Amino acid sequence: MALFAAGLSHKNAPVELREQLAADEDKVREILRDLVGGGALREAVMLSTCNRVEVYGVAEVPGEARAAAFRHLCRQRGVDAAAVEAVLYIHAEDDAIRHAFRVAASLDSMMVGEPQILGQVKDAFALAQACEAVGPSLHTLFTQAFAVAKRVRSETEVARHAVSVSFAAVELARKIFAQLAGRAVLLVGAGKMSELAARHLVEQGAFPIYVVNRTWSRAQELARALAGTAVPFEELGTALGAVDIVITSTGAPKPIVTREMVARVVRGRGTRPLFFIDIAVPRDVEAGVERLGDVYRYDIDDLKSVVDANIRERLREAQRAEAIVEREVAKFRARLSDVEIIPTIVSLRERLEEIRAGEVRKTLARLPDASAETRAAIEALSAGIVNKILHTPITKLRESSRAGAHRSWLAVVNELFGLRRRG
Amino acid sequence: MHPHLQSIAIVAYVCAMGLALTHLVQRQPLVHRLAALSTLIGWVAHTLALIVLAIEVGRPPLGTLANAVSVVVWVVVLLEMLVERQSGVTVLGAFVMPVVVMLSLKASVARPASLAPALGNAWIWIHIALALVGIAAFVLNFAGAIMYLLQDRQIRAKRPGRFYHRLPPLETLDHWTYRTLALGFPFLTTGLILGAVWARTAWGSVFTFDPLAFFSLVAWIIYAGTLAGRAAGGWHGRRAAYFAIIGFAALVVTLGAGLFLPGRHGA
Repeated sequence: MALFAAGLSHKNAPVELREQLAADEDKVREILRDLVGGGALREAVMLSTCNRVEVYGVAEVPGEARAAAFRHLCRQRGVDAAAVEAVLYIHAEDDAIRHAFRVAASLDSMMVGEPQILGQVKDAFALAQACEAVGPSLHTLFTQAFAVAKRVRSETEVARHAVSVSFAAVELARKIFAQLAGRAVLLVGAGKMSELAARHLVEQGAFPIYVVNRTWSRAQELARALAGTAVPFEELGTALGAVDIVITSTGAPKPIVTREMVARVVRGRGTRPLFFIDIAVPRDVEAGVERLGDVYRYDIDDLKSVVDANIRERLREAQRAEAIVEREVAKFRARLSDVEIIPTIVSLRERLEEIRAGEVRKTLARLPDASAETRAAIEALSAGIVNKILHTPITKLRESSRAGAHRSWLAVVNELFGLRRRG
Repeated sequence: MHPHLQSIAIVAYVCAMGLALTHLVQRQPLVHRLAALSTLIGWVAHTLALIVLAIEVGRPPLGTLANAVSVVVWVVVLLEMLVERQSGVTVLGAFVMPVVVMLSLKASVARPASLAPALGNAWIWIHIALALVGIAAFVLNFAGAIMYLLQDRQIRAKRPGRFYHRLPPLETLDHWTYRTLALGFPFLTTGLILGAVWARTAWGSVFTFDPLAFFSLVAWIIYAGTLAGRAAGGWHGRRAAYFAIIGFAALVVTLGAGLFLPGRHGA
């Protein structure tokens, strides 16, 4: 049995090629049926996302099967096999295990730690299961991959810090305010990013939302979209006194929130901080307002540098995650070989028990006068012999399995005792 | 105090401090668990040490100022563990344990001197106990203030530093320092008044110079001013945090004076 992972990803394959190879559910079903039903592979899972197209498989023997599987895929999708061959990676055994763990844990993603990939892997696994393409090996592999992904998420901060400007702004708000629920937000001007940030704040319970815009109809429109209230542009100064978070993104050539305006409202705010998120270029909030008491001001450059720092942080955390994956791969290798030898051990026991029980029956049939004690003694004797004989081979099998050299042993045992192959 | 148990406690506290500071910088969950474990071991050893001492002397282990400080440390560590568990702020240890270690070492190097001559009056125990609870609250007040200033600085610098993600929000920290101040102040006040009343009955005068009494009055004035500023003057945030630090510095000087200068509180 040979485990492998073959495919191509955003790392080295151009998007045109990924597009051509990517398959929808129906196509994946068809491909899995061909691969497993046709006997090329014993088990297979196919993962197809916009960033990667991969086949995880178990072949009878290592080698040719995995490249063949991918060539089949190319033919299926009408893609030039040579072009794929150039960027195709094939991982075998431990490397395949590692790859599955890294992909599921989002360490191989374009943005390390992005959350979608785990769901995509889960879907791919479920689809393969529905097609009956999953056997014990891939089942163990994928359930473990999900566990590893969960561990990485909870033990490292690889997915924790905001990597978009709007999320970074929300994260900052959460470091200033004890909670966002019930915080009033003022949106000045309209823009994709500012609207997105406002939406994130609303999701966290921020309320109420006020919208100011030079164009009254635009203000009303946006207020409706965010379930907020439109406020006339002239009342901007007053509105500042009533809110906790201000998001600005107008096209004004000069700051529209001046130091003077903020100074006027700051005194009446008591202990409540005021947080300006200025996404506009040129800036809408005059620099220096942050020196007025509990006022905090972040402009677009500040937010971008926060995002950059967070990305660096994710990459640092990714190194810790890699160490976790490495440990899990080692643990998993031992488990996987157990999965492979256990059926053989079970059939071996069953086979000998069958023989023993048969022989005991025959003997006892010839001894009708035997006392209960004699019968018990014969049973015990035969069972003892079987156990003694089995002891060494089973120990040997387990040892060789831990050492990773169990495959030839398995074949020998199966052959010698005439066992049926399982799993 | 049983010397071995006390040493175990101090060593464990020192380990916990090192681990807690490492956790602050490195953010390894394992390091945090070890820090928590080390804190717990120290606290258990400390508890046993106090029990042994109480049995030996046959009364609450508050007979000398050094013992009393040791009890403060015990209360602070207990509170730190409870608050950390409840609030999930895993970095609290990094700010509390250094103070714990400092106070423990201070208490352990002071020459054991008894407050004995006037002890025996039940009021004196209440005086000591109230002052201790007050001091314990101010240790947490100080830790909150340090965390506030660090977090405020990081947010204003616009560069998320190493602690940014770990520290609680500014508002939470500000509430924290307010609440610990509001909790500690009445205890400290009552403790001081009892001390003064008792001093009059024992020595006939409230105003005989005693270094500990003098510095604790200074600390009290600082805290009283901060509390008044907060309650009536709208003080909060950085200003309140600076005063929390100044007040705590006065308290540390107070205890140092009590432990190392001659006076009515021992030494």
